[in-house]
Amino acid sequence: MNVVRPFGEAALLVEAADAPAAQALAAALRREPPDGVTAVVPGRASVLVELDALTLDVGAVRDALARVPVTPAEDRGRLRTFPVVYGGVHGPDLDDVAEWAGLAPADVVELHASTELRVLFCGFAPGFAYLGDVPVQLAVPRLATPRSITPVGSVALADGMSGIYPADLPGGWQVIGRTPRALFDVRRDPPTYLVPGDRVRFEPIRVEDWDARAGVASDW
Amino acid sequence: MIEVLDSGALTSVQDVIGRPAWRHLGMPAGGAADAWSARLANRLVGNPDEAPLLEMTSIGPTLRIEATATVALVGRFEASVDGLPFPADAGRTVRAGSVVRIGAGEDGRGYLAFGGGLAVEAVLGSAATDLRTGFGGFEGRALRAGDRLTLGVSAAGRPMRWVGARVGGPIRLVAGLHPDSVPPDALTGSDWQVSALADRTGVRLDGPGITTSLAEVPSMGLPVGAVQVPPDGRPIVMLADRPVTGGYPVPAVVIGADVGRVARLRTGDHVTFTPVSLDAARSALRRAEAELAALETLEGPGNDELGWAGSHR
Repeated sequence: MNVVRPFGEAALLVEAADAPAAQALAAALRREPPDGVTAVVPGRASVLVELDALTLDVGAVRDALARVPVTPAEDRGRLRTFPVVYGGVHGPDLDDVAEWAGLAPADVVELHASTELRVLFCGFAPGFAYLGDVPVQLAVPRLATPRSITPVGSVALADGMSGIYPADLPGGWQVIGRTPRALFDVRRDPPTYLVPGDRVRFEPIRVEDWDARAGVASDW
Repeated sequence: MIEVLDSGALTSVQDVIGRPAWRHLGMPAGGAADAWSARLANRLVGNPDEAPLLEMTSIGPTLRIEATATVALVGRFEASVDGLPFPADAGRTVRAGSVVRIGAGEDGRGYLAFGGGLAVEAVLGSAATDLRTGFGGFEGRALRAGDRLTLGVSAAGRPMRWVGARVGGPIRLVAGLHPDSVPPDALTGSDWQVSALADRTGVRLDGPGITTSLAEVPSMGLPVGAVQVPPDGRPIVMLADRPVTGGYPVPAVVIGADVGRVARLRTGDHVTFTPVSLDAARSALRRAEAELAALETLEGPGNDELGWAGSHR
């Protein structure tokens, strides 16, 4: 039985064991929404289920949600590889991350680039995917002082996760590199390059190769 | 066609549809911050509830109406048509060449609807403007002087007048997901003031700082009206453009029937809260829905250019 709690009079929160479970639950609810469910929003370890509070027997929905079986996704998720220029002007926090981790900067790069991550959930901004979980040596805290602008494409770390900024945005994550790949285009279908459940890897490239690798990936 | 002569403080094309089904990709729900008022404005000009319309913030725009149109204002704003008073809460026919001027007033947010709706390209199923990312609505941005908006073909609906009653008093809250993260009367026992930082993302409140027993929670989807308490202790009522997920405790949620009231607050306005039960919250929503239907057709001269015909042409 899933734990289901009210979240206001027009929503319920279903707790999940982890992000993959939340995604599986959200997918199941989207496929066959119980009566009165108007929207489903997966989170780090939960699914927000919004309801039509006007016509609804909330108790019945709550019971139905408690009983939805959570079956893990069958497919392994699409693999997305991002070319990244690490360090230097593109990764202004790389040295600080290395110092925090007790590693050389090159080892931080090697560790980040050799880890396959998954899109746990999206939030914060259109196309911002929370990737996890990173190795514990890279589980740095957020910046003491957030940046008012973190440049689009910045590849960053915080709170045990990694993320790529889909636009110029304020941000408190530690930036170790930057990708020339686009992450968000409202005119494409889907409008984001990453969706929950995708697998992500990073590939170090030289700054000279930036232009050649820039723009929209062919597998969008 | 409508020409923008003055944009006002922040005027944008919105609708009540928004993009709630795209949140799993990080897209905010968006749409009209006060959906109830937007729906009312549309009904007053005979539009379906979902028609695109203008959302105004603190100071409204000045518009030249180039072809005869039906217009309705919802919100307590100074308003005139060619210098004559333009009352809110009733649809009006406005003649070609008229200038509609909306100023400031007691509400921080209001709506102007036009018969036929505004003709803008839908993006991801909605005409709403995503101001932060810059897409949708009119060129993905707030209106500027010189912009020209096109109206859609007018539906058969007639102009209407609203005869309902608005709710006053404290803003009503139900328990949120983390009700025990703050002292029981942390929100309801204090007076708050709307911070200058309030916007479509959320209404930040200044007042006695609230100490929470939880600094952070696992990121989760946020319903509209969720009251987040970040580490600085100043609560924020989350509105249409709120980020999809939040990681701060949510001790309470503003009831659906009162979200529009929060969206109408101005900088410096005083706010108090009162707790209600989930059942009371649902009753309030049903009542708000009933009030939205309290419409009458305008009979006789009220249906035409009341008081303006021949007065200055």
